[in-house]
Amino acid sequence: MHVYVYDSFLNQKKYASLLAKIETRITDLGLSGKISRLGLIKNIKETVENEIKRGAKTIIAVGNDQTISEILPAMINTQIPLGVIPIDGPNKLSVSLGIESGERACDVLSARRIERLDLGEVNKNYFLSNLFLVNDGTIIEMNKDFTIEPIGEGSVNILNMATLNYPMFENEKSNPRDEKLELYIETKRRRGVFQGEGRKSFFVFKTLTIINTKNNLITIDGVKQIDTPAEVKILPKGINIIVGKNRTF
Amino acid sequence: MFTKIDEKNLKEAETIIGPSLKVKGDFSGKGNIIVEGVLEGSLKTSSNLFIGDDAKITASLEANEARVGGEINGNIKTHGHLEISSSSRINGDIDCSSISIARGAILNGKCIMNPNSNHPNKDIKDKN
Repeated sequence: MHVYVYDSFLNQKKYASLLAKIETRITDLGLSGKISRLGLIKNIKETVENEIKRGAKTIIAVGNDQTISEILPAMINTQIPLGVIPIDGPNKLSVSLGIESGERACDVLSARRIERLDLGEVNKNYFLSNLFLVNDGTIIEMNKDFTIEPIGEGSVNILNMATLNYPMFENEKSNPRDEKLELYIETKRRRGVFQGEGRKSFFVFKTLTIINTKNNLITIDGVKQIDTPAEVKILPKGINIIVGKNRTF
Repeated sequence: MFTKIDEKNLKEAETIIGPSLKVKGDFSGKGNIIVEGVLEGSLKTSSNLFIGDDAKITASLEANEARVGGEINGNIKTHGHLEISSSSRINGDIDCSSISIARGAILNGKCIMNPNSNHPNKDIKDKN
């Protein structure tokens, strides 16, 4: 059985027409199932876990990146695939997964191209794409063997799956199927041999710890923030996701 | 072996320690490594190593082949060729199988040429 989890923001009247079109398309494709509408006080993780216990064969997140981010913890290490119907924004995760917005996403569901993808884990939170943190006050400990300290303004980015908002990076190195995470550190000052290329540093890793002495927060997949210290690690092949043919990996 | 940083080297490198980065501790890897920043401790890779002209190294270095520049306080060991660029100021011993030193480089330390190392042209010599 397909279970469609509608995010709470879709309860607004302005989405009624679009949802009706999507539901018609779903019926036409023979993908009808149960609709679970989230309210402001309904716990999304519990809701999804309960639906899986009741026999859901596919969970479909209907909403934006935040909807996906909130559903991820309930899907970890299950064989149940996660589908996505992106509505409104931000939808950077869906774009990377090759899923177009609205009705067209139904065709991706119908094709049912399932990929088992890695996830990143940071202090019991999960991310599909990236973590972001400013350089200021940041120290990174890698495998307790060495520390990395950025000098100057800029950002620390940890990537599992590149999104299109990271044009300055070599996207082909960030693949959510390689069982590795990538650490990119970018600084604004431009001198030396990296002139014109930006001042980038790059590491591949499976686990590290981030500390920020100035209480700057880590942003998870662009939708949630957490404090440091934070232990970051790869969760290899942690989730089944229905992807489109235009995915970025 | 690469002799300058270009886009291809950046893409092929497993690790890039950029100019605005300080790394402390024991770093080891299997792929090509580019160091343009500050490194303290030790660095070891089974592939190639590039030390940029502005790098500041206080560490022992070991690689298959290397091109070094900048300020290096520590020993350098390569299994193949070692290229020392004109910007190099090295205080430490060198152990390699072949070497080239550019005019202007400063080297304070012993240099041991190890015939048992994997010389990059070893196969060609054997055939001859």
